[in-house]
Amino acid sequence: MSVDWITVAAQIVNFLLLIWLLKRFLYRPILDGIEAREAEIAARMGEAAAIRASAEARESDCKARVAELSSSRAALLAAARRDAEAERDALLAETRDRLAREQAEREARRAEEAARFTAGLHRTGAEALVALTRKALADLADETLERRIVLHAAAQLNAMADDLQEAAGPARAAVALTRDPLPEELQQRLRSDLAAVLEGVTLRFETDPALSPGLNLRLGGAQVGWTVDSYLNGLEAVLERHAERPLSKAISDAA
Amino acid sequence: MELTPDSTVVFEVWGIGINATILNTWIIMAVLTGASALITRNLRPDVPPNRWRTTLEVIVNGITGQIAEITERRDPRILYFAGTLFLFIVTANLLTVVPGFDTPTSSLSTTAALALSVLFAVPLFGIGSRGFGGYLKTYLEPSVFMLPFNIISEFSRGISLAIRLYGNVMSGAVIAAILLGVAPFFFPVVMDMLGLLTGVIQAYIFAILATVYISSATAVPPAKPPRAPKDQA
Repeated sequence: MSVDWITVAAQIVNFLLLIWLLKRFLYRPILDGIEAREAEIAARMGEAAAIRASAEARESDCKARVAELSSSRAALLAAARRDAEAERDALLAETRDRLAREQAEREARRAEEAARFTAGLHRTGAEALVALTRKALADLADETLERRIVLHAAAQLNAMADDLQEAAGPARAAVALTRDPLPEELQQRLRSDLAAVLEGVTLRFETDPALSPGLNLRLGGAQVGWTVDSYLNGLEAVLERHAERPLSKAISDAA
Repeated sequence: MELTPDSTVVFEVWGIGINATILNTWIIMAVLTGASALITRNLRPDVPPNRWRTTLEVIVNGITGQIAEITERRDPRILYFAGTLFLFIVTANLLTVVPGFDTPTSSLSTTAALALSVLFAVPLFGIGSRGFGGYLKTYLEPSVFMLPFNIISEFSRGISLAIRLYGNVMSGAVIAAILLGVAPFFFPVVMDMLGLLTGVIQAYIFAILATVYISSATAVPPAKPPRAPKDQA
């Protein structure tokens, strides 16, 4: 066990040289590389933090916008609901008005149809009644309806002469109104009977297609009639009484 | 049986004999420097580290961490010194398994050189940290009567460092050589393996002790609290 001092000195030099070599080729490159990588990682972490902060800011901004939209949506929905309710009320009111108007129009049309139907029924009934009466008189008694009416009227004139004279006043022109022209024979008979009851009264004959079958005698302000209208009214009352439901239904269907 | 490679002169240069200790030291230096230069030649931050670079980073970071645990600060100069001590000794001790390679750490000249390096490095680091006066004052602490003991302690550190490393490495090599003569099979292998473990531990101990010595020399003493003013009453 001995120490070679030359070797000791050489080893000290070798060791110092090794320190410098390792510092040059090992420690500095490794430490510099680690520091550079740490700096790069720190830079990336900084960038990531900045990006994260930016993302968080955007997220909070988006959340604020969503909250704002939610609140405004609620307000918009409330306003829309109010508008919809107002619109609905207006539409309901308009619909009710229109329904009422249509109901009234339907009622008016129904009344008009009923009146038209009644008039038609009246006319048809009258014609049927007159036709049946004519046919019955012709078949059973060999008579005409106009002749029987004129004879009946002439027979009635004696009883109501005073009333007619009083109602007519100074008037001396009488008018006999019929729907169809009377035969000449019946005109002469009526004229002679009237002259016999009311002296000085002249009679002229006129026709009106709108009149009911029969005879209307007008003298001044007085008027006497022998028409089938009263019979038709009675026929209509009988028909309505016995066939009220079918008749109403018929009127409704017609409306 | 040669106990030290100092006596084996390999060749001469200008009349100066180059023994196996110096030659093998150069080989270790070449291995360490060459490997380091080879691995760190293309070292850029944008290139991901390969396994060799990672290995070097683990080694350097491990040494730095150990130093930081002892000194509680990061001083690259201590890393250069203690790290080189560790790498040199551990490489030399691991190369004992190479047949025919006389490790330089089995030479008392090498361990003495390393111990002298530590012995000179400690005051240099201390003076660099505390200043010349501040470092010399550490020999007078805790009192001036401790000056001879502190000087003896300082030199005994170096001697103990040198003898400890030399004794462990040389004894391992000697025991392996003796066992090789007595029982050529199995036992020398076991002892070599034990020698590897011992060599690593000795390298660690040498470097750690050097770091502790440097750390104690460079530690800045805590500032004295200001004296309280005397009570007038």
